[in-house]
Amino acid sequence: MTQQYSQFMRWTSRMVILSMLTMGLPLQSAFAGMVETDQAVSHELAGQDRARINAFIDREDVLAQLQKQGVTAGEAKARVNALTDDEAHKIAGKLDQLPAGGDVVGVVLILVFIFVVFLVTDVLGFTHFFPSTRSAR
Amino acid sequence: MTMSIRNARFLVGVFVLCLGACANPPQTRLVLSSPPVSLPRHAELSEVPFFAQEAFQCGPASLSMSLNAAGIAVTPETLKPELYLPDRHGSLQVEMLAATRRHGATAYQLAPELNDMLREIAAGTPVVILQNLAFGWYPVWHYAVAIGYDLDHAEIILRSGPEQRQILPMRTFEYTWARSGYWAMVVLPPGRIPETAEETSFIAAVSAFEKITDPERAQSTYIAALNRWPGNLAAQIGVGNTAYRLHDLAQAETAFRQAAHDHPDSVAAFNNLAQTLADQTRYKEALEAAHRAVSLGGPLAQVAQETLADIESRMKL
Repeated sequence: MTQQYSQFMRWTSRMVILSMLTMGLPLQSAFAGMVETDQAVSHELAGQDRARINAFIDREDVLAQLQKQGVTAGEAKARVNALTDDEAHKIAGKLDQLPAGGDVVGVVLILVFIFVVFLVTDVLGFTHFFPSTRSAR
Repeated sequence: MTMSIRNARFLVGVFVLCLGACANPPQTRLVLSSPPVSLPRHAELSEVPFFAQEAFQCGPASLSMSLNAAGIAVTPETLKPELYLPDRHGSLQVEMLAATRRHGATAYQLAPELNDMLREIAAGTPVVILQNLAFGWYPVWHYAVAIGYDLDHAEIILRSGPEQRQILPMRTFEYTWARSGYWAMVVLPPGRIPETAEETSFIAAVSAFEKITDPERAQSTYIAALNRWPGNLAAQIGVGNTAYRLHDLAQAETAFRQAAHDHPDSVAAFNNLAQTLADQTRYKEALEAAHRAVSLGGPLAQVAQETLADIESRMKL
């Protein structure tokens, strides 16, 4: 369902951007006439429509997902703005799966089994789950 | 009979575990057996401030320690809305890099090498690292700041969570760190370059910084990069572009001329030089540079064509 929805959104935004481009509306930076530093040595076609559209879609996707994860609209915009195209591409569609450093020790189910496993592996020095354990070596 | 097989299995299991526990993981082994000659035996950056982590806030806490160490005063509370994902109870790696840039520092992701991490610490730069404190199938992702090491005792010293000075055996540190793909980043004030910076990745990090920060800050970092890697095209263009943004056309012209001189096949250098000259109404020289840019062709040909057309139309006015 969500998959279908986001496919639909992707397609729609592509169409919207394409029509904007064909209407000749400006979709470029305010740095007119200059080659941006990151384009200077890039082998991709600078300002190529497809690259611009893909970057735009990635950013829209990250923006929507940030808000879905509980970030306010204004802050989400600023956060997307701080990402490079590459970074936006790296996390687009994956915000709910990528590592999110938060140190979520002791949530859902800490079974005795897991407790023991971690204790043993902590002592052996493979893990550092319990702050107070000391490795045997 | 069955009992003895079970016993044997158990013993083998214990043996394998012990074997694993007694051997060091690869990078630790390498660093301990053949450390880089120039690397001191131990180092600790005691002056790095400490912010104790609140629930789930290891990202903002770690980053604020690094930013403060780079001379940028910021609290974890300020960073929280820029980094934290409420529903994930954590912060993403790329946003750690992005938030650094928002606060006026260069963010550089290190090569996935323990060696490099230690060299950065020895050079005075704390390193933000991502650990998985548990297992792949039960991940507990955690950011911390590596501030010291001791090769003689095989230890890493961290500012981590509620602990101001956590000492981990190097091998345990590597096991937890390896699960994040050895992810590490440094935060640098404008004008400074990481000890272990690799030319192309670092210039890319600066151009990401340029997009969001004041041109002055990016420019001083490009200039520092040119000192380390003289003649780097992207850094030369970066100096020119930041000067152009600051409306210092004379400096921009100098930078682009240098880039064009060192890289006679760079469309970017000639195109931006043409634009800079045209803005000074020096159309004859501008036209010459624009024609050169167009003649070079390549992926930037379209931009060069537009610049040329723009100059020609301005000349008619």
